[in-house]
Amino acid sequence: MRVTFTVNGRSAEADDVWEGESLLYVLRERVGLPGSKNACEQGECGSCTVYLDDVPVCSCLVAAGQVQDRQVRTVEGLADGDRLDPVQACFIKAGAVQCGFCTPGLLVQAHDLIERNPEPSDPEIREALAGNLCRCTGYEKILDAVREAAAIKAGIA
Amino acid sequence: MDFLRPATWAEALTARAERPDAVPIAGGTDVMVELNFDRRRPGALLDLNRIPALRQWTRDPDGTIRLGASVPYARIIDELRTDLPGLAMASRTVGSPQIRNRGGVGGNLGAASPAGDTHPVLVATDAVIEVESAERGVRAIPATEFYLGVKRNAMAADELIKAVLLAPAKGPQQFSKIGTRNAMVIAVCSFAVALDVAARKVGAGIGSAAPTPRRPFEAELFAADALPWDSRADLDPRIATRFGELVAAAAAPIDDVRGTAAYRRHALSVMGRRTLTWAWREHQSSQSCQSSKELT
Amino acid sequence: MNDKLVGQPLVRKEDPRLLRGDGRYLDDLGRGALAAAFVRSPVAHARITGIDVDEALDVEGLVAIYTHEDLPGRIAEPLPLLIPHPDLTHPRTPYCLANGEVNHVGEAVVMVVATDRYLAEDVAERIRVTYEDLPPVVGIDQARAGERLVHEDAPGNVAARSVQTNGKGEAHEAIASAPHRLALDLHIERSASMPMEGKGVLAHWDADDRTLRVHSSTQTSTSVRLAVAAKLELPPDRVEVITPDVGGGFGVKIVHPWPEEILVPWAAMTLGRDVKWVEDRREHFTSSAHERAQQQHVEVGFDEAGRLLGLSVEIWHDNGAYVPYGIIVPIVTSTQLLGPYKVGAYRVEFTSLYTNTVIVTPYRGAGRPQGVFAMERTMDAIAEYLGMDRLAVREANLIQPEEMPYDQGLVFQDGRPLIYDSGDYPTMLRMIRDLVGWDGFEAERAAAAAEGRRIGIGIGAYVEGTGMGPYEGAHVKVETTGEVVVSTGLTTQGQGHYTSLAQIAADVLGVGVGDVTVITGDTRRFKYAVGTFASRAIVTSGNAVAIAAAKVAEKAKRIAAAALGDGVAPEDLELVDGRVRRRADPATAIDLRTVAVLSNPLRYAFDEETKAATQFAAATATGEEPGLEATGYYMPERSTYAAGAHGVVVETDPETADIRILRYCVVHDCGVVVNPRIVEGQVHGGVAQGIGGALYERIVYDDAGQLVNASYMDFLIPFATEVPHIQTAHMVTASGLNPLGLKGAGEAGVIPTSAVVASAIEDAEGLAVRRMPISPSELYELRKARQARKEQVSA
Repeated sequence: MRVTFTVNGRSAEADDVWEGESLLYVLRERVGLPGSKNACEQGECGSCTVYLDDVPVCSCLVAAGQVQDRQVRTVEGLADGDRLDPVQACFIKAGAVQCGFCTPGLLVQAHDLIERNPEPSDPEIREALAGNLCRCTGYEKILDAVREAAAIKAGIA
Repeated sequence: MDFLRPATWAEALTARAERPDAVPIAGGTDVMVELNFDRRRPGALLDLNRIPALRQWTRDPDGTIRLGASVPYARIIDELRTDLPGLAMASRTVGSPQIRNRGGVGGNLGAASPAGDTHPVLVATDAVIEVESAERGVRAIPATEFYLGVKRNAMAADELIKAVLLAPAKGPQQFSKIGTRNAMVIAVCSFAVALDVAARKVGAGIGSAAPTPRRPFEAELFAADALPWDSRADLDPRIATRFGELVAAAAAPIDDVRGTAAYRRHALSVMGRRTLTWAWREHQSSQSCQSSKELT
Repeated sequence: MNDKLVGQPLVRKEDPRLLRGDGRYLDDLGRGALAAAFVRSPVAHARITGIDVDEALDVEGLVAIYTHEDLPGRIAEPLPLLIPHPDLTHPRTPYCLANGEVNHVGEAVVMVVATDRYLAEDVAERIRVTYEDLPPVVGIDQARAGERLVHEDAPGNVAARSVQTNGKGEAHEAIASAPHRLALDLHIERSASMPMEGKGVLAHWDADDRTLRVHSSTQTSTSVRLAVAAKLELPPDRVEVITPDVGGGFGVKIVHPWPEEILVPWAAMTLGRDVKWVEDRREHFTSSAHERAQQQHVEVGFDEAGRLLGLSVEIWHDNGAYVPYGIIVPIVTSTQLLGPYKVGAYRVEFTSLYTNTVIVTPYRGAGRPQGVFAMERTMDAIAEYLGMDRLAVREANLIQPEEMPYDQGLVFQDGRPLIYDSGDYPTMLRMIRDLVGWDGFEAERAAAAAEGRRIGIGIGAYVEGTGMGPYEGAHVKVETTGEVVVSTGLTTQGQGHYTSLAQIAADVLGVGVGDVTVITGDTRRFKYAVGTFASRAIVTSGNAVAIAAAKVAEKAKRIAAAALGDGVAPEDLELVDGRVRRRADPATAIDLRTVAVLSNPLRYAFDEETKAATQFAAATATGEEPGLEATGYYMPERSTYAAGAHGVVVETDPETADIRILRYCVVHDCGVVVNPRIVEGQVHGGVAQGIGGALYERIVYDDAGQLVNASYMDFLIPFATEVPHIQTAHMVTASGLNPLGLKGAGEAGVIPTSAVVASAIEDAEGLAVRRMPISPSELYELRKARQARKEQVSA
């Protein structure tokens, strides 16, 4: 089947999509956006988190056909051209990246948290990120990054 | 495989009837896992995401809340925490934020896993599951009759879950879940309690400790009888303890990788005691609020 | 002079790419390649009686199906034994595809190649393999009993038996004659590295050039290259192995060649098409590698002061179905068990046992967590027995700084003597005592108890051999643009080598970190290397980079001296801010990039810059090989020993037995630190894995050998909600063994975590914790057993 949707502000069209395919597969294999990662295929790790109509979801659990005519935003769509989003910039500054495999999903999830809650408490950050596994960092520096990004966004607002 | 995309509820029911090989998919949190793991290759997927009614909740004239099967847990938490506190509490423990953004109670019911987080609340609060088929129309199934066994429910092959009917809380409700990890964990066991203050009734539900969610009837009757409804008295700890013991006695847990049967039974007795105590304390404080309002 | 870059917490050069989603991991490569999938054994132990592919043949998109019978030449032989050892008397390694018998659930039986992964899996689903069940051996008890055998020709399921003593007397005699004696039986369960990215292989065969290019998500590209060349019977020169971005390794990706690393390239050659295989999560659980599972019997003799006079440890190590990586893990357990302590006479014996389960190879910590568990449980047991403070018992046994270097009298995993090069363990213990609040804890405990809360404190220490050989190398080149390119053969899986190695090179060459590009894991760029594992990369490659860069700096000075003329000698010069300048007269200088131009005497100019290097221009150096570049190697004579101490405070729910970590503290000494931000991240990540291993993660097999929790839903890796804030403090005792004074840091965090969490739970509960990990359900059962014992006594 053909699936047409909007991704990172551009319209995308994928042909010959198998009906059981996931949005994650479509993004990675059919529209050339491999930033979202596949690590468990069951919604447990959050590495494939993308925005679907402004709500973060695990793209491995969205059937391709379900995104017809809808809006998707992936890690590739977070930066504004050359300018990194504050969440991305703070991940660098805090040292929140190690292997980088879980990072795309964490960025989308953290981005959403700060959009919804500009001054998250520590437990709120931990809870918001509790669908994103990271095997490298122990989360300490990820928390630092999210705290700082929230502060920056709050300062801008 | 076909991808069926009905735009209305009627179309969905027709498609369900015509395609017994179709698997309904809404939040995808169960169905997609089976597809990804190559466990299932159905003839068709029946996408329910485009049916607005399933993603809404409304209030019937008698006050009953009609919760569309696909209203995501995140919205239950945000929008229904006052009307359905028990369900909101249970929803908060479902999966991860991403899962709660996508999954709804309909999926929990459809899958009928013994560990589904919302089951104890649904049985404790006498929820009614509204299912429908094109041929026979609507059927209302009480939650207590909905679960038949591990991953088996009372639905016919041509039926879809339309809504869950829940009465707004008639008193304090509590939910508790024990898991090995804090977040995103399958319950070792879970428990819900709901007080109906006017009727002086207690509803309760046990999760993850039997093939289906269970109501500990004896515990419910005991608490209804023993709670000091007439006074604002503190709960006698012996009542809460006895309640917990009766809850544990009603469970039929097994040993598995998450915990032993003995631990589950023990944890249920603790959860029963704690949740009843919390609920009663809440009842006391709301009563005192009410009385002070009446005085002014 | 520049401020030194080594020691600065610089941000990582590689991050912007990874944060934009522009990282390129194995599965991001090879679009359009054919996809491989595997039919894997659903049973733990069986003879294969038939393979029927009929139903699979009509799947559209099927390209090929291979079984063992189809494999030619050396591919049909068992995979290599990577690390032979004289005590490994019955080594067995797997075939690429099972040869008539399967020995664990998940073992590859049939390979399918199709046009995409979904189709390949559909084909695999339709292939019918029939099995004749053999009795499975599951768990150490069953392996020890030896009634059932994994391999018929490995009696008692014993792969290896090994004894070491420290040459300080006969341990059993020392124990027997000691004033006090204790014995402990300990258990550690299975766990696994579980990187977020599984394994994966992509192969491209260029039939015209007869060149094979393999991308693999591995911790050693150079060694995969040699293994693939040997198996496929190609000249090594015709094989390139490239490691793309790797989504974590933690040990499991040091094993090689995996069957898929041979089969995928072979299929690509056979089919003349690119072939890719990406491991899914379930495959990673059932067909990669696990670690940790051991039983230990400890006997110890000690005096009134808690000093160890004799220690005897027997270890039964579950090595899974095969031992391709040899017996490194139990060797590490046996030799690193002693930690920062002197123990009198020591004897350790391990038996490495076959079971019908996934193979066991090093996972971060690599046998040390088990050894530290044994040692620290013993310390606590002695304290309990003597009624002494647990810290005091440890202090009584510490090796003192003035005893360094300290020879433990054992042979380490690198085959070299186990000699601690440096360390200050008393200071380390004092620091953890202060950080975790040991002295004020009784007041804290009382305050908690007043609120009906139960808390406990635990502490533990370890020593970790790091930076072992045989060697690493690096090639450093200054381009005519001024860019410095550092190529190393070692791979990187998130440890920040692009930045830390750049810091080392930049310091030597007087350039900025931004001027340095580091290349890792690409055999086209550097062919000689060992790999990234065992906390060795920064020690071995870091020093190799420094050595190579120093050669380049010397060469730059010679060329610059010739160019500057006027009696300038190389030794008058220094490299600062991208220039080579006279120390005495910094205005007399030449750009490093110009030196690079001059280093390559030209007949033909191609731009303004290069005119200076042509024949009729003046001032080109003579007697130098062209190019401002050099290769350097660092070959350590033996390992260098890092150390650390952890402290933890836990709370246990008196009713539900829920276990919560309130506070986690780390004191860490890895010698000179190149990048503190990176080292801290390594420590945090290790601790998180340690907490997982203490409270949440375990691999569970049932009696039939089925892995019952093979998913992230049931193998509980900690989320941000489970890992507490981790307080760290650093101390530096530089290593005298290498020029930069470095020790490794990659594994440190995970090593003592189970031991200290067990210690804290024991302290909170007043009952003995002898098995880790521990769940609320298990803690409840321990309480129940204690209650039953009490009732028995009173009755």
